[in-house]
Amino acid sequence: MEEIPSMTVSQRDQFLVLNDVFRIYSDFDASDIATQIFTVEIQRDKQLDYLMNGLRHLGPSFSSLDANLPWICYWILHSIALLGESVDDELENNTIDFLGRCQGSDGGYGGGPGQLAHLATSYAAVNTLVTLGGDKALSSINREKMSSFLRRMKDPDGGFRVHDMGEMDVRACYLAISIASILNILDDELTRGLGDYILSCQTYEGGIGGEPGSEAHAGNTYCGLATMALITEVDRLNLDSLMNWIVHQQGVERGFQGRTNKLVDGCYTFWQAAPCVLLQRLYSAHDLVLQGSLHMSQPRDEDHEEHAHDEDDPESDDDDSDEDSNEDCRRVQPVFDSLNLQRYVILCSMVPEGGFRDKPGKPRDFYHTCYCLSGLSVAQHAWSKDKDTPPLNSDILGSYANHLEQVQLLHNVVMDRYNKAIAFFHRAV
Amino acid sequence: MHGRPRKAYKPEEEAASAAKAAKLRALQSQFMANHHNKIYTKEAVDLSTKLLEINPEAYTAWNYRKLAVEDKLSRIESDPDLVKTILDEELRVVESALKQNFKSYGAWHHRKWVLSKGHSSVGNELRLLDQFQKLDTRNFHAWNYRRFVVELTKRSEQDELEYTDDMIGSDFSNYSAWHNRSVLLSSLLTRKADGFLPNKKIPDEYKLVQNAIFTDEDDQSGWFYHLWLLDQTVNVETPLLTSSWPLHGSRINLSAGCSNGSFSKLTTFGSESGSFPLVLYFDQAVCGVSSSTVTIDSELKGNEDLVWEPVSKKNSQVSCVWVARLKYISSEPCFGKEYKVKVRVGNSPGIVSSRGCNFSASYEFVFTAHVHDTVEESSQDGIVSWKDGFDIWDAESKDLNALATLDRSNAQMDSKWRQEAIAEEIDLFRELPDSKIGKLTLARLLMAKAMISDDAVKGVHYNEILELCKDLMALDSSHYQYYKDEHSVALLRKVTSSTEDLSGHLFRCRNMNNSVCLRLNNLSLSRIASVEKLLFVQMLDLSHNELHSTEGLEAMQLLSCLNLSHNRIRSFSALDSLRHLKQLRVLDVSHNHIGEHSVDTTRYLCSSPLSNSEWPQDEVGSQMPSLVTKYWDAYFVLRDLNLKQLDITGNVIAGDEFSSFVLQVVPKLVWLDGKKLEI
Repeated sequence: MEEIPSMTVSQRDQFLVLNDVFRIYSDFDASDIATQIFTVEIQRDKQLDYLMNGLRHLGPSFSSLDANLPWICYWILHSIALLGESVDDELENNTIDFLGRCQGSDGGYGGGPGQLAHLATSYAAVNTLVTLGGDKALSSINREKMSSFLRRMKDPDGGFRVHDMGEMDVRACYLAISIASILNILDDELTRGLGDYILSCQTYEGGIGGEPGSEAHAGNTYCGLATMALITEVDRLNLDSLMNWIVHQQGVERGFQGRTNKLVDGCYTFWQAAPCVLLQRLYSAHDLVLQGSLHMSQPRDEDHEEHAHDEDDPESDDDDSDEDSNEDCRRVQPVFDSLNLQRYVILCSMVPEGGFRDKPGKPRDFYHTCYCLSGLSVAQHAWSKDKDTPPLNSDILGSYANHLEQVQLLHNVVMDRYNKAIAFFHRAV
Repeated sequence: MHGRPRKAYKPEEEAASAAKAAKLRALQSQFMANHHNKIYTKEAVDLSTKLLEINPEAYTAWNYRKLAVEDKLSRIESDPDLVKTILDEELRVVESALKQNFKSYGAWHHRKWVLSKGHSSVGNELRLLDQFQKLDTRNFHAWNYRRFVVELTKRSEQDELEYTDDMIGSDFSNYSAWHNRSVLLSSLLTRKADGFLPNKKIPDEYKLVQNAIFTDEDDQSGWFYHLWLLDQTVNVETPLLTSSWPLHGSRINLSAGCSNGSFSKLTTFGSESGSFPLVLYFDQAVCGVSSSTVTIDSELKGNEDLVWEPVSKKNSQVSCVWVARLKYISSEPCFGKEYKVKVRVGNSPGIVSSRGCNFSASYEFVFTAHVHDTVEESSQDGIVSWKDGFDIWDAESKDLNALATLDRSNAQMDSKWRQEAIAEEIDLFRELPDSKIGKLTLARLLMAKAMISDDAVKGVHYNEILELCKDLMALDSSHYQYYKDEHSVALLRKVTSSTEDLSGHLFRCRNMNNSVCLRLNNLSLSRIASVEKLLFVQMLDLSHNELHSTEGLEAMQLLSCLNLSHNRIRSFSALDSLRHLKQLRVLDVSHNHIGEHSVDTTRYLCSSPLSNSEWPQDEVGSQMPSLVTKYWDAYFVLRDLNLKQLDITGNVIAGDEFSSFVLQVVPKLVWLDGKKLEI
């Protein structure tokens, strides 16, 4: 490699990454069509092998030492769901049983059996169970105790702590509110002062930092924005500057970086693209959504309970009479470069043997696999202004076989699993 | 939630780690037993140390140690030496855990916890931080911890600022250092620390960041810091009143009753309710506007306890726009008289921005309300046409000056150094002609300059901004829509920047009682802006643009006729902001895309269960539930409007079924799609 004169460390690192990435791109461009088609294909079998192996590796007893076992369950099972697959009954039952053992007697889930309840692992456990779906999984969550756990984590300042005596940050706020929202146990006590706290973490860059004074960070920006959307205070944020920050985090490699002037990383595909799509849909779909009017087709209280039972899929009664008269109007131009983002994820983050990674040269792991796949899904659906508009062929890099299940942007669980869970928890009294 | 990358499994590693894992498993289960049985003996605590040194993520063990420390401290009679020994040991464990994984949330938090016990040595902490910050200059845990230590030990912000000097000096791409600099400077400038006056310090900072930018224009760090500087140059934190309706010194004509009686040459406001809106427009969202923070002094009776409402989304109590309705028809005859109305904003403290800054500069404005007693019935049920009966505006007329709002906000700023700083930057950035970020920054600088310069030169700036936006659209197509929106904003600012520019778009509508009509059609607008300068407009023609939503129009409380035909509205929910326009009678949304696809974003956005119970069951809702379900988005908007004339032709949703639905929801409608309805 030629000498690099008087560069800062960040610039040198950036230069090296660019070198790697652009070499991959130019190799790809130089190869023949057949190779290209093969290269951009998400090898579903390989991906599933990697994921299933990972799940089995946890063993029937899930006896690893980690403090984040529910996370691993979520990363793997959500990835499997994104690929449109599910696990067999035995694995499903093992997972439900295992998470049951992580559930604390005072509510919430710890990182493993006997560990202290933690908001992050509670979120992971809830999302895992929502992803598995079904009465057994969903009813295994003790909502009452979860509710009191969330209350214990609430700080008088408005935010949440991740566990007893633990740290308070935007991440914790999102985890708590996401859980409360999906379980239908959100109330004024949990939301009190929360908007003010999140607001105090939005920086002048436009993104949101982890705590007041911190610089903007993709994960926290997603968490803050989603929290504000869930508590219907999203319009208090400076959305213009937020959007401005995010779009400038897509670098020349076309992947996203997580903070200003940092290196690209595949996982930010989700953390950055999801807020973009969320904001674009907010702008066009508007605040009726946030006022809750949209839930009119869904069960909302005891009065509607009977009616609710025959509505397993709350979306089924939608008016789908409209035809493809004008595709353009259902569509929106994403504010980020979606196709090239997909190219980064597939060519640079995807590992041919299965799994995804941060960037070339890094090892694959389940975290990156989960958020690369989630991000790919968001990118594929970024043109659709609403839920019923499937992506066009041209929205998806590679063949339509790459099409991933759509995610619910505020919780990052697959859409139809989300719908079923919402119906379930709105029926539950 | 960002997980630490896990190592990939390699077969040869697996065997080795299996044995290790078994040993650790025993360690962990022993630890768990200690934890659950609250055993805090030395052996038990040492066990947790071992565990944490291997796995700093074991947050349960951190908590266990906190409990153990509390337990020990309660036993020793505050012997300072013993306390020190105990806490030192905690710091040591944290340090070795951080060496294992310096991104461990639990470890950093444990250190903060120990320091909060009053046990710290600034020197030690800063030395430790230096180590970690050298290893990873962007580690946000370390930066957060640094800010924590500085605050706890009251280390001077000036010293910290010098530290950022060093960090930036050795690596100007370290954005974390720039960021911390902005945090420190904000604080120093706000409390006006010695030597930290904005007019001195900000220009110095521009010089510093120029170095970084011009050394490598692709390096993002400098650009974002530059953005912050620009913000400091242009914006003031405290909320300001940007405009109002009526304006200070203006004279408004009010007609009694619901008549649209014709008063030649006078723009008249008539309303069925015998009240008129008083609109306050702030430069940022505020809460706390009430009859105690805003007082009204007038002879118009019955306005003692005005109700102020935020013009914003349903649940929000913060808004840029606030409106109250002043009664001008009371039981006593008061027609043909003039009333002075004095409004004092910020009379008592309480108006606060969403960022917590107080509206401090109280402001008073006075206007005259002339209530006419001639009640002349005209056929108010006639159809309103957007084609005929418009007179161009006399640019010379005094009316216009009385209508157009002046920029008050900037008069309060010490603007000389700001102007100079921005002018200097503009000159500089004109030398970076081909870079995308250079153009964008130049556009922003020009926008800032236009905000704080005289009317006469504004137009020139806006023209340049428009050109830059066009260049950027071509240069950087992946952000096309972003620049397009910026273009729309600049265009609207230009149109509203001077009375000359504005008068070219203004008309009077003869058939509508000389209502003020603003035509902004055919401008390829994709977004609405500058509404604060258009509060007086009664008829607005936005036809043939590229609007997706009416967001922003909610502030135009006088609006009675709105033409949105030939835009890109695709559902009634995009018209939601119109629900705030109590005067709106005529709405043309023909030739849009409404109904081409049903909007149901439940799958993207879950509404809060808090608001679920608010689903209102009214008469129409219970009479035709299936249509309400089908056209819910139209229903929620139309039932709150008081329309007399609606045009929806040229939309997919239009049809017999929808028409009959509209008639139910809007019983007062007289004209639908250009046809008079049989009543």
